[in-house]
Amino acid sequence: MLEACAVALGAVGCGLSMVGAAGAREPVLSVGVLCEELEELQFTLGQGPGVDAAGDGVVLAPDLAAESAARRWPVFAPAAAQRGVRGLFAFPVAAGAARVGVLDVYRREPGELGAAHLSTALAFADAALVLVLDERGAVGTGLDQYRHGMLPERRAEVHQAAGMVSVQLSVEVSEALVRLRAYAYVHERRLAEVAADVVARRLRFTSNRRGMNDTASGNGMMDVPPHPDPDHPEGGA
Amino acid sequence: MSITDRRVRETFVELADTLVDDYDVLGFLDVLAHRVVELLDVDACGVVLADHHGTISLVAASSEETRLLELSQLQNAEGPCLDAFHLGRPVSVADLRTGDERWPQFAPAARDAGFLAVHALPMRLREVVVGAMNLFAVAPGGLPADSMALGQAMADVATIGILHERTLRQQGVVVGQLQAALDSRILVEQAKGVLAERMSVSVDEAFALLRSHARSTNSKLRDLAAAVVAGAITELSA
Repeated sequence: MLEACAVALGAVGCGLSMVGAAGAREPVLSVGVLCEELEELQFTLGQGPGVDAAGDGVVLAPDLAAESAARRWPVFAPAAAQRGVRGLFAFPVAAGAARVGVLDVYRREPGELGAAHLSTALAFADAALVLVLDERGAVGTGLDQYRHGMLPERRAEVHQAAGMVSVQLSVEVSEALVRLRAYAYVHERRLAEVAADVVARRLRFTSNRRGMNDTASGNGMMDVPPHPDPDHPEGGA
Repeated sequence: MSITDRRVRETFVELADTLVDDYDVLGFLDVLAHRVVELLDVDACGVVLADHHGTISLVAASSEETRLLELSQLQNAEGPCLDAFHLGRPVSVADLRTGDERWPQFAPAARDAGFLAVHALPMRLREVVVGAMNLFAVAPGGLPADSMALGQAMADVATIGILHERTLRQQGVVVGQLQAALDSRILVEQAKGVLAERMSVSVDEAFALLRSHARSTNSKLRDLAAAVVAGAITELSA
């Protein structure tokens, strides 16, 4: 996906970094050698557009050799420019409080990204969100719903439900989204329907003792448990 | 008609006062939606924005959150907002009982929600339509021309409020600000869920609590929502 992103945006490379539970950002994937190095550099310095995007939203740096860039990122900007990367555009992989990572797009030439490329980049960031959530939920769904046009993560009740489930399971909102998506997948139901059941209090999530699996219960709902979730770092904490 | 020049003037002054540096976009739109209902003599007002997928989302509304949310979401398939969006001009239906042919899903849903007239005003930035203002009335009937004109002026103010006209030279800034407004709204939805679950209230009641707390403490809705989701604020009193 990152390769497709780089090609679509005329970029020299793209990098995806994840935001951990403690808010620490860590590079996980990148395309292009240069890009890998610069992702690491941002991470090491704790400085750069990608670092800022984790907290502030979209950050566009059309020219890293410009004075304004050097003022904002005094070590990173000159280092990147020296390596021949002039444009860096950073997009949060996030929905509200569910901030899971940042997508960095690196370009050799300075200049604005332009409206069409911006939209494309945001669409890739959304796709990355779905993929990351489903990766964490250990289910292989995701992009089907995405392809059908309406991104489920945009629906209000999905976010309301994520807020409710985060309290029910004492987890972060991003984790609640993971569980909701995984539940919908395992039960072959649409995410929006599952969310509507949660909001209407027909469905509750509870974490079991081992902290690995979710069970959900409600009137007449199938009480089928648990998706296997062996790699889950902090399940049901 | 309930439009008085004085009240209109006061409203624009109030809105202009809100547009200081680093203001709360959602709070601003919330005031705007309420004033629209009051000044145009309609029963509900929703402000929707389109994201980069063209998906329409509600970012502010005058009342009854859930009912308006559903009517807004439905308009991703069909409805006056979607039409206003594509046509770039106002779309008005004076009697929704005659609207089934045009909008087989939206018209009955709007009637079920208790509305018989609907008007959608495009929110445009130069040639680009970024969103729409949706007006709903319980009684059938069109809006008089002066009300439509005032409504469009309010829609323009909403656009300015969201996009900070002054900084609009760069395309990137616009996209970033639209994204920020939509993302703030997602955060508020999450906070509604968190609060509803913690306090055993409905999501609508949760929003009312958030809104009145933000007002009384003079804090931004977005900041308050972030604090609620992060667990820094666990209870709000009515």
